[in-house]
Amino acid sequence: MRYDSITEAIGNTPLVRIDPAVHGLRNIDLYAKLEMLNPFGSVKDRPAWHMARPLLEGAADGDGTVVELSSGNTAKALALLAGMHGLKFKSVTNRMRVPEIKDLLLLLGAEIEELPGRSECLDPTDTDDPLTHFHQALSDPGSTYLHTDQYFNPRNVEAHAAGTGPEIVKDLDGKVPDWFIACVGTAGSSTGVARALREHDPRVRVLGLVAHKSDFIPGIRTIDEVHQVGLFDPATYDTIESVTSHEALDGMITLIRRCGLLSGPTGGAAYQGAVRHLRQADAELEDTGQRRTAVFIVCDRAESYLSYVRQRRPELLGRAGRGHSASALTDAEVRESARVIGVDEALRWTTTGEPRPLVVDLRSPHAYAALHIEGSVNIVDELFEDLLRGGLPFSKRTPVLLACPVGEKSLRYAAALTRMGHPDIRSLEGGIVGWRDAGAPLVRE
Amino acid sequence: MDAPLYLRPRVDPPLASLLRAGTFLHSLVDALGSPLNVLLPETVAENARRFRAVYSRHRLTGRVYFAHKANRSSALVRRLAAEDVAAVGVDVASLEELRHALSCGFTGDRILATGPKDAEFLWLAARVGATVNLDSPNELEQLSALVRTHGLGRVAVLVRLSGFESADGHGGAGTRLLSRRSRFGTPLRDAEELLSALERNADAVELTGVAYHLDTTGVEEKVRALEQCVLFMDTCRARGLAPRAVDIGGGFGIGYVAEAGEWERWTTALSEAVLGSRPPLTWRGHGYGLRNEGGTVRGAVALYPGHRPTAGPGYLDELLSLPAPVLGRSSANLLLEHLHDLYIEPGRALVDQCGLTLARVLDVRLADADSGHHLVRLGMNAGDMSLEEHGVLVDPVLLPRGKPEEGEEGPVGVFLAGNLCLEADLITRRLVHLPRLPRPGDLLAFANTAGYAMDFHAHRAQRQPFARTVAVERQGDDDWRWCPDEDYWPIPSPGGTSA
Repeated sequence: MRYDSITEAIGNTPLVRIDPAVHGLRNIDLYAKLEMLNPFGSVKDRPAWHMARPLLEGAADGDGTVVELSSGNTAKALALLAGMHGLKFKSVTNRMRVPEIKDLLLLLGAEIEELPGRSECLDPTDTDDPLTHFHQALSDPGSTYLHTDQYFNPRNVEAHAAGTGPEIVKDLDGKVPDWFIACVGTAGSSTGVARALREHDPRVRVLGLVAHKSDFIPGIRTIDEVHQVGLFDPATYDTIESVTSHEALDGMITLIRRCGLLSGPTGGAAYQGAVRHLRQADAELEDTGQRRTAVFIVCDRAESYLSYVRQRRPELLGRAGRGHSASALTDAEVRESARVIGVDEALRWTTTGEPRPLVVDLRSPHAYAALHIEGSVNIVDELFEDLLRGGLPFSKRTPVLLACPVGEKSLRYAAALTRMGHPDIRSLEGGIVGWRDAGAPLVRE
Repeated sequence: MDAPLYLRPRVDPPLASLLRAGTFLHSLVDALGSPLNVLLPETVAENARRFRAVYSRHRLTGRVYFAHKANRSSALVRRLAAEDVAAVGVDVASLEELRHALSCGFTGDRILATGPKDAEFLWLAARVGATVNLDSPNELEQLSALVRTHGLGRVAVLVRLSGFESADGHGGAGTRLLSRRSRFGTPLRDAEELLSALERNADAVELTGVAYHLDTTGVEEKVRALEQCVLFMDTCRARGLAPRAVDIGGGFGIGYVAEAGEWERWTTALSEAVLGSRPPLTWRGHGYGLRNEGGTVRGAVALYPGHRPTAGPGYLDELLSLPAPVLGRSSANLLLEHLHDLYIEPGRALVDQCGLTLARVLDVRLADADSGHHLVRLGMNAGDMSLEEHGVLVDPVLLPRGKPEEGEEGPVGVFLAGNLCLEADLITRRLVHLPRLPRPGDLLAFANTAGYAMDFHAHRAQRQPFARTVAVERQGDDDWRWCPDEDYWPIPSPGGTSA
């Protein structure tokens, strides 16, 4: 395989059969269309390239900016395509809730505008809808924006009608599957593939999956949100069902751990929704001697969704604790081991002590810089917790006064250090707040 | 008829038990007329304690200031005045509110003066030692001039900032969080002018804190603003000023609808009705901001988020727990570590579950024979109870006059009309589902109206009677006492009438 441009590597993705031992359907062959193997990592590479190509060619000399309302994969593909053509890319969205994707887009050179949340006090005269502003800016005569408009652009659908759909038919030896299952985001892939398949054989049944209304699955819209998509036509789907983020993660873990497919949550939702939907049909086929086929789309890969997983299923990413830890102590252990010192006594200790204690301020560097006890050192609590894992960070001959905002965290660390064998660790009672309230001096250096 | 699309209200214990006291409520309306506002002053104090509990959990100090504009009641303000002076204050946005707060027992040092201010308001605030939340350098100059001319003491001031979205200083690519533009506050980019004005007028005013108020339910925008305020406080300190408090305003919200499922079903049905795939849910097909353009739903839905999983103190907790975008620590940690006090100004959220509005059913007739929907005319108008004006959709509770008759029909869809001779005077533009058809003489109780809905828009049009307001307190299990709002004092008193 030799290419002149990465864009030639878009499409022609594999169709992989899922082991029946995994999905448990006895009379249906289930295939995954691995759109995650497109060069930019998702099913969106196809429409992004198909929509952007004429714009990019038209702006070849350009200083324009490609803009799209996208929270992820379309933005990723468009940012790369724009960069290849010397243009900028801007994404406008209020759905970008996965930090890795945001960081990745910034790495690709994208500019991100996040739309404001909804108004708390309703203003019936409000004409300040940010999306309206966005569209006004696009139609401004002096505008150099190139808007790909994925929710309304027919080229989004065409990319799949000419590519994804026919590829599936080709890989099934010229036959269409009995079921095609797709998650609905822009409705581009589901509409385009459904069109190609139906032209070949109208008996194909199309299942559209949307996110459960109060839930959030990256890349899928809820049943209300799909109605705002220009490409969405209910007639495309024989059935529309909703899936939860819980099911999406279940499906994703099955695909990853049992099938070797490094799918993201959208692919997981498609798999889980497909198996749930097909179970009934599978039972009806029992003892008829007939076999059926179904195809679902794996939209993208897992790596970008680790914080999404951490938020919803932390146990999947759990790590066992190691070494000493202040947070592992019980309240009773803390009370038993820690020594505290009041502000007056601490003042005497820090000015006339023999030897004088090392004062450690556990607050953040910015707060420490604003005001602190003169002569103290700043070790922010997160670092301090790491230091403790390795052993005592101070010589046993150095007395130490620990200070945090109200004397709660420092008490815990004082207990941990005492249990680790340090003979003279004390926690400042009431913390820096207590110190200030007692009128003791704080400095800014 | 389709399955009834209920939006039943969330009612917590004291309000729920008041709603069960139907005979008592009927006797109140018989005596005092329809409409009638009923308040539970004890609940406002309980809500203040819930907010304080969030402070304690995060080890924060500072005050909860009741945004008075949410309700003009004396009972609520007096009840709050009786709370711990260090913990609870009041935020007044007009001269009359300031006078009212003072007359209800708040001393000047517990009062925060915000909003658009005229000279009289500024003078009285300065005279009684209230803290003035300054909107602009102009207002600062005006206040300072008053202080000098009238020989007043130095006035504690907060400066209200705005325009946080452009404060990141990103060059080129980056993330920009957009915010709705506000009429209030001084944009951060004009901070230099503000600081020199503060220094110039140091003889008249003392900067004690920094404030913001963003009209949004989005916590990310608020966390960003809070962090920008902490950074700005640092700039102030470097200039020799010594502010201590960050005032993050209000906007904590209420969850009005009890069940998420009902809210989700209704809003989905609204989209479908706008698309024409189901019959309208509203008077003359009103779309609440949504419209149908070639089979696609466009526009933004102009509704208060009826079911909110986190609101009030829970929302504050969430806001304080989120990491700040630049410094990384949680907002609570940021405030605590920088030794700042936290001020909040909840209005709506502080009067959650504090009251209800009662209206008598005057007339019931068929709206049109085709739909089978009824038009129910109430002894109130849209100004008396402006849930609709605030985009709050929630069902009233039917309090029958007598026992229902045998075989009375089940759920019905009704439109609620007011007592003004105007086509537009609808209490709701939404088809409301009730468990049975009301009869003249029944009461409809609108729960949770104390925040803005109760008397915010009430006016004397057509000489219809104003809603009277009463405060009620529970005595024992199901025994209630009441008194006129203006006669309530938070001390044991021989006044008040038993049910």
